[in-house]
This record gives sequence, structure tokens and C-alpha cells, in this order.
Amino acid sequence: MPQPASVAIEEGVIDVLKNVSRRPIDPTLSSDLVADLGFDSLQVLEVIAELEDRFDISIPLNDVPTTRTVAQVVAQVAGLVAERSNA
Amino acid sequence: MPRSRTLPEALADAARGDAGYCFESAGVARWRSYADLRRTSLGVARALVESGLRRGDLVALVLQDGEQFLTALFGASIAGVIPASLYPPATAADLPRYIELTAAILNASEARAVVTSRALAPSFEETRAMCPRLARVLCREDLEGPPDEPSTSPSIDDIAFVQFTSGSTSTPKGVALTHANVAANIAAFAGPHGVGSCGDDVAVSWLPLNHDMGLVGMALGALYEQRRCVLLPPQAFVKRPAEWLRALTRHRGTISFAPNFAYDLCVRRVKDLSGLDLSPWRVAGCGAEPIHPATLAAFAEKFAPVGFRDSSFLPSYGLAEHVLAATFPPLGRHPRVERVAADDLAERRIAVDAAVDPDAPAAALVSCGSPLPGHHIRVVDEHGRPLAERHVGEILLAGPSVMLGYYKQDALTAAAIRDGWLRTGDLGYLSDGELFVCGRAKDLIIVHGRKYHPQDLEWAVDDVAGVRRGRVVAFGVVEAGRADRVVIVVEPSGTVAGDPLTEAIRRRIGDLFGIYVDDVAIVPRGTVGRTTSGKVQRAATKDRYVRGEFTAESVKA
Repeated sequence: MPQPASVAIEEGVIDVLKNVSRRPIDPTLSSDLVADLGFDSLQVLEVIAELEDRFDISIPLNDVPTTRTVAQVVAQVAGLVAERSNA
Repeated sequence: MPRSRTLPEALADAARGDAGYCFESAGVARWRSYADLRRTSLGVARALVESGLRRGDLVALVLQDGEQFLTALFGASIAGVIPASLYPPATAADLPRYIELTAAILNASEARAVVTSRALAPSFEETRAMCPRLARVLCREDLEGPPDEPSTSPSIDDIAFVQFTSGSTSTPKGVALTHANVAANIAAFAGPHGVGSCGDDVAVSWLPLNHDMGLVGMALGALYEQRRCVLLPPQAFVKRPAEWLRALTRHRGTISFAPNFAYDLCVRRVKDLSGLDLSPWRVAGCGAEPIHPATLAAFAEKFAPVGFRDSSFLPSYGLAEHVLAATFPPLGRHPRVERVAADDLAERRIAVDAAVDPDAPAAALVSCGSPLPGHHIRVVDEHGRPLAERHVGEILLAGPSVMLGYYKQDALTAAAIRDGWLRTGDLGYLSDGELFVCGRAKDLIIVHGRKYHPQDLEWAVDDVAGVRRGRVVAFGVVEAGRADRVVIVVEPSGTVAGDPLTEAIRRRIGDLFGIYVDDVAIVPRGTVGRTTSGKVQRAATKDRYVRGEFTAESVKA
């Protein structure tokens, strides 16, 4: 069941991706960060830093290699945001 | 001239003082004195010998952690074993392919052992079948022993370490440097004609330690000079470039080197300058990739309010085959920039002052200075004849820093070093004795200061489903003022449609090397030619691409 909070997270993630990309992109949930959106490893780390600032979370770098799609990023951020508010 | 020392001797000397490395990670700073690091390294040396390694054996180090890597390097050196640094995987997403790539390097270098992390060790165990010479896969965590003084020590002409840049599968190029090479380069670049190292200096670095600038320029430079050095993980900088500047502020750092892209990242991404103080930073070295005067100017302008001085920049030229540094400008000078006519540079290969024709396109180039003391430079034409000033040719270097050779690659070594002169593969010209670098004769691709061999990218893409095997060409298109554009040209096998194929290729390169492929050109069968020896015609394919022959329209036609 979609929650308003997850919609906000999805919009926030997509906004960050657009800001970090150096070319015009139109990310959807199924977009692959590397293959579709053209992020190199440097920019993926930039995305992480921006997400951490925006959502006030800490994303462990160990999880990054397995993250491929926008949907996975949204899920990861949502999980960390929930963890933070439960803490 | 200080006495030339081996790495274990330099470590033993440094261990008598109280300087050391500070390993900083996630806001936690941990100082370890050289004496302390030496004790750990002696234990590693003992454990390596007990695992059966003998003097002259090669041990490959695949370690991400800075402290683990450095103490393994020192330990191997103390044990008389040859340490070789290999890049750890960019991501864990395509480990099997990474391991396969690395196995080719292990085989060609006849490595007797791998030292790696517990996480990667099982994957290397699986390569044993492919690598008959590989006797041991060792976890760095297990290499501990009593800090006994070694019974033997390497001689000054033994190999200090081997550095594999990007591992090429057909002929992996490991740069073998002797202790004499390393000592000579450090003495030259740390001395009064280099950075003028002094007792109060604090080096700060986030550079990878399997890269010449990070290892020799920062970590070993500080060790040999018995200075302090703060080491940050590369990822910490890339994630938050401000971390570099904050570390410089916190430690009152005086010396720090980085490729051009790092200064650019700071200009674009550091927003909050409050609390920064860069006034102690007297040597801001820049090298390892083309230097853009506009980047240096933008950085100086942005950070002037927090004490950064334009005259701290030290744009320099060097390469791993020459240990590290080759040329430096004088300390404390503003970067010397020449504006030259772009057309003359490209076509006539002459650097003509752009002021002659103000309307023509111009290229701005920054001086990398003159050779370090005891080192020599030449710019030559394609027949090896020295050129006059302002004529563009290949840069050759001679002197005590020229590598011993490519490890176990005699033919490659003979092609690279002739009569003591190292062919760098870089193009440049001399002006008033100072070097201006303006291109590459070799077909290396440089992204974010790291060099990639096109063969490696081609190999990585070769077995992607939908690619016609052996019909892949990779190259970089150099663009003034920007990073190289990475281009891959493939012939399709016909089993996978264009867009998914492009995606799969980008993913493979992203997973293995962490870089983005700017363009994938899918071309009709028969387009990618081969030489009589069976190699792909890279230069010819690149020329056709640059001329626009492989645009989507012309390919469909």
C-alpha cells in the first residue's frame, strides 16, 4: 500500500538524481543508474551524499554495489528513514 | 644528496622518530607512528616467510584498507618478497569477471601468493585452478607474527614493488621499480627543486594507494622524509569532496596532490566554506591527468576567501614508469599558462601564440615545469630525433627514476626504454625549457586520473550477450577542458536488440571499472577491421568514429 511518505521519498530521490546528472534525464522507478541514467561511480557517491543530506540518514557504502535501479534506491532510503524515525 | 636507501631501511630510519601516518575514516583519526607500523610489518614479513614464500617471489596485494595495504607492502619488502599492487574490484556486482581479469595478471606475473581481505579470499581460491603458480591465498588479517628483526634485507637494486595499472589480459603491464628508483625519485621531488620538504610539513591525501601519486607521492614521500601524513579513504573524498579540505584544515596540512578532476569536484560540489582554513597549504600538486588552467583558476578564486593561494599550485608531470614525478615548476609561482592556436597545435604540431590570430580557436595549456635534478627530458619526432622548442612530439625521460622495466615482459620493456630513454607515450612541447603536455601518442584512456587500457575494456565487453566476439573496439576521445569521452564500438551478433545491448555494455564497464561509457556505437558486421596479426584496428576505427561515420543514421543506412 503506497504511503504519502514513500511518494515524497520517490520524488526526493528523483529530484536528487536530476540535480546530480550532468545531462538531462527523466528517471523512472525502473531506470538503472549506470546503464540508463549514465552515472559513473563518482556520481553514484555524489547521489548518496545528497540523499544523506536531504533525508538526514547515513547510507552504508557496503550496500551501494548492489543498488542498481531507482526503485532500489527509493526502497533503501525509505528503509533508513523508517529506521531513523523508529529509533 | 642523501644516501640511497631501500624501503625497509627508510622504514627503520623513520621508526626512530615520532612521525607516522594518521588513518582517518568516518571522522575518526588514528595516528600510528612509523615505529608502530614497522612492528606490524615485521610480523607480516615473518608470516609471509612462514607461509613458504621465498626471496624474489611475487606476492599480489589486493587490499582496499590503507593501513592493511601499507603494512603488507612493507612486510613483503622486509621479507625480500616482491609486492605487487592490484586494483581491488570497483564494485562487488561482477566479481567473477573481475577475478578472471585479475587471474590473467596473476598468471602473467607468476604470482606465488595473493594477500587480500577475508571477503575476497574465497573468490581468489577459485582462481587456483587457472593459476598453477599461485601457491597461497592469504588473508591479510591472518598475517601476524612476532616482530623479529629480519635475517636478510633486500639490496638497493632489487625490485621494491610492481605496480599494475589497469590489468590488460593479453599482456599485463606491471611497472617494476627498484629501491634505487624509488629513493631517487623521492629525493628529487621532496628536495629543494621539488616540494622543498621540511620538518613542519603535514601531507594530506585521499588518493588510492595502488596509484603512483597516492603511494609514492604521498605515503612513501612522507615516510622517506620522516614527516607526518594523513590518509583518507578515496571514497570519503569522492562522496564528500569537502572532507579533503576539512582534513587539510584540521591537520594544518601543507602538502597535498590530486588529479585535476578533484579540484573540479571541489569547485562544483563544496558549498559550505565556513570553518575552512587553507592558508597552511603551501603545495597543491596537480597531475596524473591533463590539467585545465580554467579548473585551477576557478578553484583558486572560490577558495581564496579561506586562505588558498594561487601560487600554491604545483602543476606537474610524471608517470608510474618513472616512479612518479618527472617535471616540477618552481615553488610559489603562479601557474604559467600559454594560449596557443589550436589548429597549429593539432595539424602543424607547433605551439603558436594564440595572440597572432585572436579569432582562431585557442587552447590554454599549463606549464608542468622543468626536469627534477639529475633527470632529463627530450621531445622527439616519430624517428626519435630531438625537436626544437615549441614543436610537439613524444616526451622522453632519462635518469635514475626510469623503471627497471615491465615485470616479466622483456619485449614490452625493450619497446618502452631505448638507450636509457623512456618513451612516455605522451605528447608535449618545451618552451623556455618548461614542459607543456598536450596529448597522448598511446591509446590510453584517462578518467579521473586513472589510466585504462582499451584492451581491458574490449576484453570486458567481449562476452556480453549480443556482442560479436573479437569485434569490439574501445577508445577515449580527448576533449579540451574535459575528461575523456569513453567510446565503445561493437558489431552485434544479432541476438540482442540495440538498446538492451547498449545498456548491458554500460553496466559491464560500470561494474568492472566504475566508469561510464559515453557512447556505444553498434556498427554493421564487417566494420571493425583486423590487422594481419589478428588485432582490432583501433586507430582506424577511432578515426572513422571521430569523422562521424558511425552516427545512428549512417549505421542504419
